[in-house]
Amino acid sequence: MVTLLDVIIRVLVGIAVLGFLAGSAMFLIWLERKVSAHIQNRYGPMRVGWHGVLQAVADAVKLLLKENIVPREADKLVWWLAPFFAVVPSVMAFAVVPFGKHIIVQDLNIGILYITAVTSICVLSVFMAGWGSNNKYAMLSAMRSAAQIISYEIPLTIAVVTVLMFANTLSMQGIVASQAHRWFIFHPSLALAFLIYMISATAEVNRTPFDISEAESELVAGFHTEYSGMKFAMFFIGEYTNVFIVSAIATTLFLGGWQGPLLPSPIWFLAKTYTLVFVLMWVRWTFPRVRIDQLMGFAWKVLTPIALANLAIAGLLLLK
Amino acid sequence: MIRYFSNLGRGFVSLIKGLVVTFKNIFSPIITLQYPKEKQAMTARYRGLVDLRPDRCIICYQCVRICPTGCLAISHKVQEDKKRTLERFDYTMELCCFCGLCEQVCPKSAIYMNKLYEVTAYSRDKLHIDLLNPDKYAEWSNIVVK
Amino acid sequence: MSETVKESKHLATEDFLVNMGPQHPSTHGVLYLELQIDGEVVVDCTVHLGYLHRSMEKIAESRTYTQFIPFTDRLDYIASMNNNLAYVLAVEKLLNMEVPERAKYIRIIIAELGRIGSHLLGIGTFAQDLGAFATPLFYGFRDREQIVEIFDELCGNRLTYNYMRIGGVQFDLTKELVDKTRKFVQYMRHKVDDYEWLLSGNAIFLARTKGIGVMPKEQAISYAVTGPNLRGSGVKWDLRKDEPYLGYEKFQFDVCTRENGDSWDRYKVRLDEIRQSLRIIEQAVDGLPEGDPTVKVGRVIKPAVGEAYMRAESPRGELGFYIVSDGSTNPYRLKIRSPSFSNLAVLPELVRGLKVADLVCILGSLDIIMGEIDR
Repeated sequence: MVTLLDVIIRVLVGIAVLGFLAGSAMFLIWLERKVSAHIQNRYGPMRVGWHGVLQAVADAVKLLLKENIVPREADKLVWWLAPFFAVVPSVMAFAVVPFGKHIIVQDLNIGILYITAVTSICVLSVFMAGWGSNNKYAMLSAMRSAAQIISYEIPLTIAVVTVLMFANTLSMQGIVASQAHRWFIFHPSLALAFLIYMISATAEVNRTPFDISEAESELVAGFHTEYSGMKFAMFFIGEYTNVFIVSAIATTLFLGGWQGPLLPSPIWFLAKTYTLVFVLMWVRWTFPRVRIDQLMGFAWKVLTPIALANLAIAGLLLLK
Repeated sequence: MIRYFSNLGRGFVSLIKGLVVTFKNIFSPIITLQYPKEKQAMTARYRGLVDLRPDRCIICYQCVRICPTGCLAISHKVQEDKKRTLERFDYTMELCCFCGLCEQVCPKSAIYMNKLYEVTAYSRDKLHIDLLNPDKYAEWSNIVVK
Repeated sequence: MSETVKESKHLATEDFLVNMGPQHPSTHGVLYLELQIDGEVVVDCTVHLGYLHRSMEKIAESRTYTQFIPFTDRLDYIASMNNNLAYVLAVEKLLNMEVPERAKYIRIIIAELGRIGSHLLGIGTFAQDLGAFATPLFYGFRDREQIVEIFDELCGNRLTYNYMRIGGVQFDLTKELVDKTRKFVQYMRHKVDDYEWLLSGNAIFLARTKGIGVMPKEQAISYAVTGPNLRGSGVKWDLRKDEPYLGYEKFQFDVCTRENGDSWDRYKVRLDEIRQSLRIIEQAVDGLPEGDPTVKVGRVIKPAVGEAYMRAESPRGELGFYIVSDGSTNPYRLKIRSPSFSNLAVLPELVRGLKVADLVCILGSLDIIMGEIDR
């Protein structure tokens, strides 16, 4: 029976999560710049606020003041909607992320399936941006990006299914609960699934080494060429939110979610998630970019067969 | 089949090696300076802008002759007692390539290169400098020289 | 603009023309490439030069020999010391002049330091073009900063040095500078291993560069490619060993070659050359003779009527100066043979049939500088 109190609590938690989301996007932008700076033996942002924490605010103000240039023959509705399709699905996925022992907006009993469905909408934003820009280079780049995202969803989902076989439930809190005595990453077959998941997730959020859509030194300019000001910012907020979401899902699926001794559960959750975010940033600033055909070859010829074989082996391990 | 997996293994190890290098560098000392709060001292031989000590100049015109871009212009007057005085010593900073040949060739070290490097101007007139004016570099002389 | 329509059995495809225009993040300078692209594959590539032409050779005809030395700094602005050196050697050949021993050793130390600095920047920009955004570049600049600081203390400037003089060098090496150089050699030896770990064996880097832009030996020789590009194709030709100048025959170092001639080999040759340069610097610093590093030349240099061609091994290849003198203070004709010009000429051959991403990779591995090409 759902009482009014339940509804009020849910709404409050939802507002808290949205507030956290806004702060988290700013924090992630700052973290990325600081991590990249320290890897490169330099300071990073230092002026705006203490050690540059308010740099994202300064950037946001700058982007708000930029002129909004609409390309002439662009398909207006498609072009205008594309940034929203980049941000909104990631925010929607926050509804089932378990931040703590009882801190979750709504513990759907199809939690992980909901997340997979919702994050797949991000492909649309790339394609709409490319089509709406009326620019042949943006269109080419958008098609390549869309092909990349769709190809890497398959090993991602197979890795997730491998976990589900062990967890026996689709709900996110249920998956965390099934890791009560041992985190899933310590199973050999699930450790491989973790690796496959992280590689596919890096490709899903368009980060180096799989970031051809943002490449500046390539000839085609990227699907977000024709965007300026706040719309451009929305694509990048969407990317950072995506980074957080895939790390949060990896924490829930493989690293035991919010479980941990002594400290309160949200702190454990955030610590594990931000460690994975740091790993994603660390990888970004180390490796060169993979070429588009090598990227597709890697997805179909390496990741997908290994993910399928891993699934079969996990099934065999469960039989005994 | 074996080669497929050994390639994968070797590739994976190489990626980890790269990650180790960048991780080590996160804890290495930072080598940049936060300009303009922290400024680096210029070396003793640094070639900044051309400057003049008019009392030492013997008006031999060697600097004018050696300048590759022709940015120096001198004119002198001969007085009654056969002594020469400097009338005009113009330096066009626009043309100067900061090579230091004038400093090297001057027999009396009258012309030299000072340590100014933070030089900006809103109009090109500011870049035509009269080296005989003692306040020529007043607005740019606010750097700390160690 | 030509359009070719190719028909395969099912689809008719059309080439389209893309300008990789003068301003582009990965052409090293102002280079204009006109590409005919079929989908992703480059069918043809036309190189347009001249955006950085400053008519240096014509200017030389109205300057004296000493006045032209600052101009040679601006040719290959990454390794200015080597340009100075090649020009000054050419003038000294014209004058039949011998320089003191100490000057020769100092010149060798400085030239090798310049070579290391140039290779660090070349490797850094190569990795950046491939997408390892900024990290190898920053490491390269961090190490290059130490070299540049040595040069700053030595001659007073960080990029355009104007240090070599006809008959010697401008300033002597002080004891502090010699110690700094020694410390730098120790430091750099460890850092080269860092580059090996970060880039050389990296699976993604290998996948992007192995087998890309293979230049066979005969093609390299027929296009007059020199420097690390030639040595990466298996030709063991280094002017420091084959036509020694400045006393290089007294030093022990290896000529680094690789067999395949692809982009990875050219990159690896540069990395190995850094190690060999460190060896040379160490030997030179240990054996530095005493004495005065300049020879007194008159203020006015008037060579006899004649001509001379002198070539030196710059970091990019064979840099040659051909000077014709008519007995006056200015050269009658000065021709600069720049290595990047010939290295760039081979680009359309290498890139045919490869993808646009590979074009960027090959351009980075050839390590060209537009200042040298356009003069």
